[in-house]
Amino acid sequence: MSALTVDGLSKSFGDETAVSDVSLTLEGGEFFSLIGPSGCGKTTTLRMLGGLSSPDSGTVRLDGRDVTALPARQRATNMVFQDLVLFPHMTVAENIGYGLARSGVTGPERAQQVTEVLSLVGLKGFESRDPNSLSGGQQQRVALARALVNDPAVLLLDEPLASLDRALREEMQSEFRRIQRNSGTTFLYVTHDQESAMSMSDRIGVMRDGEVVDRGAPRRLYNQPRTRFVAEFLGDATVLTGTVRERGAGTVVVETGAGDVTAEQLDRDPTVGEQATVAVRPETVRLDGGSITGEVIDTAYKGFYAEATVACGGAELVVRRERQATLPDGGEPGTGPLFSVGETVTLSVERAVVVANGDG
Amino acid sequence: MATADSGTGRDWAVAGGPTVLALALGVFPLAVLFVESIGPGLGTENYARAVSPLYRGALSYSIGVGVAVTVVCLAIAYPVTFWLAHRCPARYRLAGLVALTLPLWLNYVVLNYAWVWILARGGIVNRLLVGTGLLAEPLDLLYTQVSTGIGFVYIYLPYVILTMYVSMERLDYRLLEAARDLGATNWRVFRDIVVPQTLPGAAAATLVVYARIAGAYATPEILGSPGNVMIARLVVDAFQGYANYGFAAALSFVFLCLVLAGFVVGAAFPRVRRELRGW
Repeated sequence: MSALTVDGLSKSFGDETAVSDVSLTLEGGEFFSLIGPSGCGKTTTLRMLGGLSSPDSGTVRLDGRDVTALPARQRATNMVFQDLVLFPHMTVAENIGYGLARSGVTGPERAQQVTEVLSLVGLKGFESRDPNSLSGGQQQRVALARALVNDPAVLLLDEPLASLDRALREEMQSEFRRIQRNSGTTFLYVTHDQESAMSMSDRIGVMRDGEVVDRGAPRRLYNQPRTRFVAEFLGDATVLTGTVRERGAGTVVVETGAGDVTAEQLDRDPTVGEQATVAVRPETVRLDGGSITGEVIDTAYKGFYAEATVACGGAELVVRRERQATLPDGGEPGTGPLFSVGETVTLSVERAVVVANGDG
Repeated sequence: MATADSGTGRDWAVAGGPTVLALALGVFPLAVLFVESIGPGLGTENYARAVSPLYRGALSYSIGVGVAVTVVCLAIAYPVTFWLAHRCPARYRLAGLVALTLPLWLNYVVLNYAWVWILARGGIVNRLLVGTGLLAEPLDLLYTQVSTGIGFVYIYLPYVILTMYVSMERLDYRLLEAARDLGATNWRVFRDIVVPQTLPGAAAATLVVYARIAGAYATPEILGSPGNVMIARLVVDAFQGYANYGFAAALSFVFLCLVLAGFVVGAAFPRVRRELRGW
């Protein structure tokens, strides 16, 4: 049985549709991320799942039971809030034990569960600490423990890492993943940060304007995006448009401003002569010795690689060049420019996919 | 170092005058009152009389009224300010706050007389009750503990609401959602989150109104029954009626000590003490 089944969830605020006909199924023990730009309705969806907001229509089922009409306190969901909202007048143990106390777990039993969850999140011995005196990462762990200790059917996380700096965020990402694996709890994680969603999740749902436009494993979404929006939101992509010139086995050749590009057609079936949109990942554009010739119009230094925007005919392509550990001429890596504006380069597109233009 | 020193000197020069003035205004009259209370001739007979059973009743009744009315005001102010700060649409908030605190801008005595007109036998309440046939005979509402209570709450509620509102507005609504998410009922949310988070406001409101109610003069005079004498009446009688300044001063001091004792009892609660340390 699925841990969470959402069917046709919709919500409007006044004239504005926040969430429109969202359906989701989460299997037990799964790490599912709901991603999308700010204002796409992902937090509203999460609040409806947690019972903090009620939907205009649709149903929410937890372990098969319809909980749509139940308030937050009667649902087997727990939330990790965006700004954590730890209770400032309680100790770490009181914060974590609060949910247990509400469900009738008494003193010694509660203390033991608090101790266990504290060691799970790596805060052994922090019971009597004041949450205000903890560091950002420690507060994250307390917030996670406070929700996790109740053994929810689904743990709802509302961008809890948004306020952390990059290094700490990455550390907490792998911590979340480890804790999720060890506890076996189903996680529903909401974020606008596609990078962290891809590195943590078993599956991802991409939201736009209140709708889930695509869902699947991170690798599937990245390599075979169905829409232009997903291609551009998840990772970097250059989008080219053109006319289909030729059809092959599962591929089509599209004549774009940059030249002919062979693209996987996925579930689309464009006919010859039809307009098609193709998405190209920068890392699949090869430099040197291709049929596409262009001029570098912009460069960006990114550390271990450099990126160039190349104007080829009527289109622009983004290409990357990795920095070598040692350069052939014996120079120090990363000292010279890897691209220079005005330089002429020849490119070939190794891999491209046909995507739906627009919202799909 | 030199600059720091001269800075401190300047600080003293600037702050010293007003501080001395404030202390003088606060302490000097009290000191004079105290000297008066132990006179004539460093005796304690004024105090002995002030704590005699005759006056003990009025003292404890006054403290009791102070506590009861403060509790009623807080009980009303909690839901009202919560609604105002977290539920009321933002554009009506200021209007609501002004409407609730309107009585602050009217004369105290006038406010009391307004209730005479409302609660009298021929007043608006009785006329409505009798006129609609709910009652055959008008009720004796005026000059009772009920009318005194109503008058006190009416006059002091705005102070409590204003003070509580500041605390309530600062209350992070998401804490309530977090508690609900963890299984708290409305009552638990109120007890575990709202009360501890707004305790500074409740404490401040209590400081402002409790002693003033216990020591009030006009409201019991205008709305109260002659049988329920509050302490201010006795002090005024001693000053004006039989010009016994020493006894009046002693009675005032005993009252002050009782009020302070009330605060000490309040501070005995660990939660209140923790809050006070934060100040």
